[in-house]
Amino acid sequence: MPKGVLVDLSRCVGCRGCQVACKQWNQLPAEQTTWQGSYENPPDISPNTYTKVRFVEGNHREQFFWRFYKTQCKHCLEPACVSACLVKAMEKKPGGPVTYDEHRCMGCRYCMIACPFNTPKFEYDKAIPRIRKCQFCFDRQEVGRQPACVQTCPSGTLKFGERNELLDVAKIRIYKEPNKYVHHIYGEHEAGGTSWLYISDVPFEKLGFPTNIGTAPYPGLTKDFLYAVPIIFIAVPSLLLGISYIKNRRNEDK
Amino acid sequence: MNTKQINRRDFLKLGGLVPALALTNLGVSKGFSATLPASNRLKYAKETTSICSFCGGGCGQIVHTEGGKVVYVEGDPDHPVNQGSLCSKSNATYQIVNNERRLKKVLYRPAGGAQWEEKSVDWAVKEIAKRIKATRDSNFVTKDENGVTVNRAESLASIGGAALDNEECYLISKINRALGLVYFEHEARLCHSSTVAALGPSFGRGAMTNHWVDVKNADSILVIGANPVENHVVTARWITVAKEKGAKLIVCDPRFTRTAAISDLFIKHRAGTDIALIGWVINYCLENKLYHDEYVREYTNAPFLVKPEFGFNDGIFSGYDAAKRAYDSSTWDYQSEKACKHKDDCAQKGAIPTEAKCPICEAPVETVTKKDMTLNDPNSVFQLLKKHFGRYTADIVSQITGVPKDKLEELAKMYCESGKPEKTGTILYAMGATQHTVGTEYIRGYAVLQLLLGNMGMPGGGINAMRGESNVQGSTDMALLFNLLPGYLGVPNAKLHPTLQAYIDKETPKTSYWSNKPKFLISMLKAWWGDKAIKENGFCYDYLPKIGAGHKGGGYSWIALFEAMNDGKIKGLLNWGQNPAVSGPNSNLELNALGKLDWLVDVQLWETETADFWKRPGVNPVDIKTEVFVLPAAFALEKEGSITNSGRWIQWRYQAVNPPGDAKRDLWWIDRFYKELKALYLADKNAPFTDPIVNLNWNYGDEPDVHLVAKEINGYTTADKKQLANFTKLADDGSTACGIWIYSGFYPGPDKKDNKAAGRDKADPSGLGIFPNWTYAWPVNRRIIYNRCSADPKGNPYNPDKALVKWDGAKWITYDVPDFGWKDPKGDMIPPEKSAAAPYIMLPELHARLFATKGATKEGPFPEHYEPFESPVKNLLSSQQINPVVKIWDGDSNKRAEVGSKEYPIIGITFRLTEHWQSGIITRNLPWQAELMPEMFVEISPELASAKGIQNGEWVKVVSARGEVPARACITQRLSPYQVNGKKHEVVGMPWHYGFSGYATGGKDRSKNYAANQITAHIGDGNTMIPEYKVFLCDIRKM
Repeated sequence: MPKGVLVDLSRCVGCRGCQVACKQWNQLPAEQTTWQGSYENPPDISPNTYTKVRFVEGNHREQFFWRFYKTQCKHCLEPACVSACLVKAMEKKPGGPVTYDEHRCMGCRYCMIACPFNTPKFEYDKAIPRIRKCQFCFDRQEVGRQPACVQTCPSGTLKFGERNELLDVAKIRIYKEPNKYVHHIYGEHEAGGTSWLYISDVPFEKLGFPTNIGTAPYPGLTKDFLYAVPIIFIAVPSLLLGISYIKNRRNEDK
Repeated sequence: MNTKQINRRDFLKLGGLVPALALTNLGVSKGFSATLPASNRLKYAKETTSICSFCGGGCGQIVHTEGGKVVYVEGDPDHPVNQGSLCSKSNATYQIVNNERRLKKVLYRPAGGAQWEEKSVDWAVKEIAKRIKATRDSNFVTKDENGVTVNRAESLASIGGAALDNEECYLISKINRALGLVYFEHEARLCHSSTVAALGPSFGRGAMTNHWVDVKNADSILVIGANPVENHVVTARWITVAKEKGAKLIVCDPRFTRTAAISDLFIKHRAGTDIALIGWVINYCLENKLYHDEYVREYTNAPFLVKPEFGFNDGIFSGYDAAKRAYDSSTWDYQSEKACKHKDDCAQKGAIPTEAKCPICEAPVETVTKKDMTLNDPNSVFQLLKKHFGRYTADIVSQITGVPKDKLEELAKMYCESGKPEKTGTILYAMGATQHTVGTEYIRGYAVLQLLLGNMGMPGGGINAMRGESNVQGSTDMALLFNLLPGYLGVPNAKLHPTLQAYIDKETPKTSYWSNKPKFLISMLKAWWGDKAIKENGFCYDYLPKIGAGHKGGGYSWIALFEAMNDGKIKGLLNWGQNPAVSGPNSNLELNALGKLDWLVDVQLWETETADFWKRPGVNPVDIKTEVFVLPAAFALEKEGSITNSGRWIQWRYQAVNPPGDAKRDLWWIDRFYKELKALYLADKNAPFTDPIVNLNWNYGDEPDVHLVAKEINGYTTADKKQLANFTKLADDGSTACGIWIYSGFYPGPDKKDNKAAGRDKADPSGLGIFPNWTYAWPVNRRIIYNRCSADPKGNPYNPDKALVKWDGAKWITYDVPDFGWKDPKGDMIPPEKSAAAPYIMLPELHARLFATKGATKEGPFPEHYEPFESPVKNLLSSQQINPVVKIWDGDSNKRAEVGSKEYPIIGITFRLTEHWQSGIITRNLPWQAELMPEMFVEISPELASAKGIQNGEWVKVVSARGEVPARACITQRLSPYQVNGKKHEVVGMPWHYGFSGYATGGKDRSKNYAANQITAHIGDGNTMIPEYKVFLCDIRKM
């Protein structure tokens, strides 16, 4: 049965233990950051930052709120990145994780275009660039450990388990406190369902969650496109290499 | 750039020329073996358990090592406090041990030198010992003007120690006292000294009453003067558990914090007005009879009658001397009468004993305190309390605090729910409470409220002082403070205690457990001076330094110490890991003071702002004549020893890896210093008063063995050197030695297996999170102190689901170690009526104090609201503007903004962030943490920003009468102006973690100092002189 993580945003305190636990387990270097106008940093997930907590201030039911939500790969049940990958570098494991094999990857970055959540990141600054993203600590899961971010979560925001059971937990929490929680489990159906599930006491659109994702699995949406792949097999990589070159140069300019 | 090729020396050479920007990966070395498949990463690693070295939570860690390197640090899933979880800082522990910036060599800067020189360890020990001796001897006071032996080395000072292990702190306490140090302070003065000063007189002990896990048992959680989910992140875990069971979280704070983000009720009150706010809740509780009646009558001093001479008028209690700015507190006392033990019964029979024996029961007649159990007597504590707090009406409190009246009502109603006997409420507080000119009275206010609601001694109740350093509880217990000896014995005072007998006579109460005080002191003297301490010489009592009036009559505490240093009175300073250049109040004054020293010894993990003070922005090193020795220290994972968390759990840590280069354990440095000093003093027959030094009992081996120190702390019999079971075995005849009595019992046997601090039994029979055999809590493993009060006088628990102790009709059933007389020496059970009459065994009246009697605190028996030292408004409650007993320091660098200042109209507050820790010098050297919070900022309201034309993210400066600090503007709705007495008053808040040294300083411009304490004031509270960091006046200006 696929695993999942339930994120209860009413519990998150924005301590960002998950952000550093991820860096430690995956041995990701620190990024050079500057003040971004809020507590958030780094600016986005990146090849060196697989997970990032967003901080959102606003008003809901005439009350001020400050909410924190963790972003990372959602590990779709039917991942677009996997079906977009021509060389099977992206793989959906039976237990839930969507993993990446750098030895197979040819750098086409279809996965980046395909992902509805804009998750995979490319190492534009490396001589032999890779796609980088959260891999749901599949290596830890293989030896019976929870993902590093879940284990480290002090406030009980993150709960790891069977996705089905987590959906039940989520429903019970909403049922028990119907006035507190939004009556929606984000990820239950979005993009055909994701391993990461969110419940919240503030509407998801107020937090900046993408709410125009739809509920159809993305591979279905990209099927027609994929039939055309053999035809454009030659043309697109050269185009992308061109883009890569320009982006790379821009990146250096920064 | 390959960062591994840059070592620290190269970095120093590059100096400020290399922007931190280029050093992205500096100090992060790859930990995992690249050859192993990912899932096998930890398969061949060795596991060592440890305790996190950041806040006082005491979370367990598992450290994975491979080939002598730490490869991974994770939360210990078995540890009851954190259950495998860790905050961001604790996760970054990995980068403390794998960090190229760590000091590996002794660094020395000669007077006026422009750069560091690397030196050998032996050279450093010899040179430093020489300087300690020369400075001590140059101005040593053997006898004072009255001929009393005082043994004071007034030119030497010692600070720091809260980041050290207990055994290290203990030896610092011991060696410093032998040397005669009186200017002896550390982090605890700055963080929780007012806690001890308030909780001690209220309940008998000065520490957190419950513990972290216990928060889960609360029905209401009141967070005031604290931000636990940011600063003690593990609290969030237990708040979540409590909330799942229906508990309410109330947060009172001048700004909306991450703790406020998960609260059920948030109260935004003006900084510095918490006494008014709590005073209102007390008033509401009394007016609406929401207090726990039986508890108040039976377990507190509410029925006690106070002398009719006691009074209070216009903000001043009886006995005030305006010239001295001090009280004569003799009227703050109980009425007494002559009566027999069975007073009430015999009195009903009409007997008023005047003879030595009661004519009815024939029991001896004694002087007893008068009580009125109906609580109606106008002189009863209860009625005086009602009268005092009756003034804290919703109208006036709303005007003072800026909290709307409906919110005040909601707050009082919600929290007073915990006054129901079966309900409990806990108060969590930290520096937002303690660091005020009335810090002690803030906490006294919590004590009064918690007693009225019957929340003390209860699971899920208590007053929980959350301590900020991993071992600041332990370092306080070890008394790295001028006014205490280990175990909260008062330090000898030349005037009051010229001899041991005088000390015993004055300091030993006739009742309470403190009646055993002579046993504690004499056993400590035996531990320190061994066979030399004999009855005939007062057990070497004369060896202890005795304090006098201190600098300018202001004592020897932190502020006085730095004032004395700034006045050139202190010539040598030993600093054990503290960073006052960032953390000290009015830090420019303190930086200037460091330049008046002849020498500074700084034991550190890295170059801190304190170590670097001579090359700080804006000064020329040549002008600073202080010699600086920086000694590389071992980090927690690189040594073994115990630390005490905020919940008083003494927890053992093991060594995982070796320290880098020449870095040594602090224990090692202390041991070498002592040995070198002893040799120097044995060789110099002319040095003053060498006995305390050369006769010091110091036998910890060639390479000091931490277990030997731990065993001395626990105590042993002097005749056959057998470890003591606990402090009940201590004697006052010299037959026992014990370093610190409250720790006795933690190492009761000779072997490592006897070390109870290392206990890892996960059993929790009560289900209340007591974990009785997981490590060891002082005193005698009590997890929730004052636990007699969790049950009614008959011994029935107030809430059967939260039973700590229970009388079943014949015996006590206990889930925690009883904090009361429950068994007699023969082992027979003592029935509940006896202990019901003595529920607070550490206070002479054996009842908790709603009314703090004479000598308990300096400000008065009841908390009273006064405005902060710097305030935009006049005090609305009385004509007394500020705390009438604080000492006001003068001088150019101590300027003050007047009330309602036009130049500095904005209220300033400082705070901490979860991503950084204290002065930031550890976390700012950890790239992962610096990534999260890279730069200094100041939070301002959108209204203020638009009034000043400030854009989000723009660099601005915050200016006070004392200095200025650059910061990025953070415009947020989390702050808003307070509506005070019909007028709007703006507020700004800033973190105080930044400075000018390290990987991240607070901004890209390394020629700037980003320390917020440049603008705070040198003003302390009336009891402990804890600085008022948390509120001041300032202005914000565009760059």
